[in-house]
Order: sequence, then structure tokens, then C-alpha cells
Amino acid sequence: MEVIVNKVLDAKGLACPMPIVKTKKEMDTLEPGQVMEIQATDKGSTADLKAWAESTGNQYLGTVGDGDILKHYLRKESIQEEKPESKHPYVTTLDELSKKIAGNEKITVLDVRESAEFAFGHIPGAVHIPLGELEERFEELNKNDEIHVICRTGSRSDFASQKLAEKGFGNVKNVIPGMQEWTDSLEKTH
Amino acid sequence: MKIAIIAANGGMFDAYKVFNVATAAAATDAEVGIFFTFEGLNLIHKDAHKNLSMPAGAEHFLEGFKRANVPPVDELVQMASEMGVKMTACQMTMDVMQLEKEHFIEGIDVGGAVTFLAFAKDADVTLTF
Repeated sequence: MEVIVNKVLDAKGLACPMPIVKTKKEMDTLEPGQVMEIQATDKGSTADLKAWAESTGNQYLGTVGDGDILKHYLRKESIQEEKPESKHPYVTTLDELSKKIAGNEKITVLDVRESAEFAFGHIPGAVHIPLGELEERFEELNKNDEIHVICRTGSRSDFASQKLAEKGFGNVKNVIPGMQEWTDSLEKTH
Repeated sequence: MKIAIIAANGGMFDAYKVFNVATAAAATDAEVGIFFTFEGLNLIHKDAHKNLSMPAGAEHFLEGFKRANVPPVDELVQMASEMGVKMTACQMTMDVMQLEKEHFIEGIDVGGAVTFLAFAKDADVTLTF
């Protein structure tokens, strides 16, 4: 699967602390919610970038090895997500969703995160439409299905749920809190 | 996060210890201050910081620095400065060594022990190299 990123940073051949220093500089140019791929050959960069993301409030998505090159994926934190203002009236919990999946109930799980986030772990069988593409792609979904919308924290999925309700979808539930606390099975495509 | 560093030694290895931590911290949005004292003044001396000595017996590691593509010390110093790392040279040591502010790189301050202590008193991390 191809991961869509907003920026690729070439930090190949650079030694510590340069990958971090460059990441910091480039991250400042991104908009909240955008994803950056950092290509590095410094073996310490995986642990460093994880720690860096944690200290600076950004989101570490994962790392993929490609020969000698490590490709790290980070998502710039958006302030909006820290203070979710829930509006969609129908919500459900991760537990309830887990039970429905285990019981083979006929539901649709719609994951509205960015493609890099989706690639590093999603609910098996989930349909993937990033929030930003929902406006053009909502017709791929069936209006009569029971749709469970999920993101990382429950914030983007709230916007998506509202949007689907506006479009005439009658059975939409926002899953709270989202993938960051999902401990059930995961599928990776990257 | 606030980080206070004392740089009291003036060799090549010392420079990397000081400036790697300082630049990494600055890149992690920390407020960083370094107090340069005694041999540590070498690390910001206009000429000396470009030509620091290796520890005796470790000269062969020079190649290793090149192989690992470690940036030269003057580049790290400049980067630290650009990222807002506050650098203070110790007045007392400068007097002893008969050094003036213009012997040092641009953008440094000169101060005494209390200058450092005032900065360090509420630091989250304090390091001495």
C-alpha cells in the first residue's frame, strides 16, 4: 500500500542529532494533521524520533525498513484534536464495536484517518476514506448500512459522522475514543 | 523543558557531548543554556573551536567522525546558536586567560557564576561536561 505523505525529508547519511534537528525544522512548515516521512540511515533515529514526538506532542506513526534506509512516519499534532467538541449525537464505545465484530454482525467500520496512520494498523476489514476525501467519496458507502466511524481520538470521526448524517446517512455512530486505545486485532498494510 | 549545561573541558569529544545534547534539546523545544568555563572556552573560541584536539591515543577516531558523517564542530555551534541556545562565557576564566569577548564567536554573552546559577535554578536537567 502506498502511504500518502505531505512531505518527505531526506536525512540519509546524517548522524545524531541531525535527523532530529532537521525533523524539527521541517515539522514547523507543516500544517496540523499533515504527515511527514523521514528517511534516515542513523540506526538510533527510530528511538530518537519516537522520544522526540512524545516530548513535542506530535504523533509517531511507525517505521518501515527499506534496505539500509529507515522510513519514519510522523503526523503533526493538531490543537483541535486535543479538545474534541463532540456534536454527533450517536456514539458507541470500542467495547461495543469489538463485540459486534466478534459476533460477525453486519456493520461497516469507516476509518477516516490519514493513509499513513491507517497503514500502520487498522481494524481488519475497515473501509478507509480520510476525512479530507469524504466529501468527494461518500457515495462509496451505502446509506442503509450501520456505519461505525473511527479515527485516532474520536474527533475527526465526529466531523465525519456529522457530514454523513448531513448527506442522509441514517445509521451512523461515532466510535469513542478511537484507535489510540484499540487493543483488539489489527491489520497492517505497510 | 529547561536544560542547563556546564562545559568545562575543551577537547573534540567534549564539544560533541555538549553540542549534540544542546542541539537535540533545542530541537525538542527545550530552553537551553550553556556556561563555558576553563578549557570549555575553547568550544566557542573563534579559532580554537575549529581545530579542537583529540584525546591522546584517540587520534585515529578522526576517521570515524568522517565515516559516520558527523557534522564539524563549528557547524554544530552555529546550529545551536540559530536554534536559540544561550551561550555564556565565564568572565573570571576569561580574565585569567586574558581573553576578550571579541575572541569568541558571535552571539555569546559574558557572565559570572551567578548568571549561570540564576538560569539553572529552575532547570529540569543540569549537565556538566
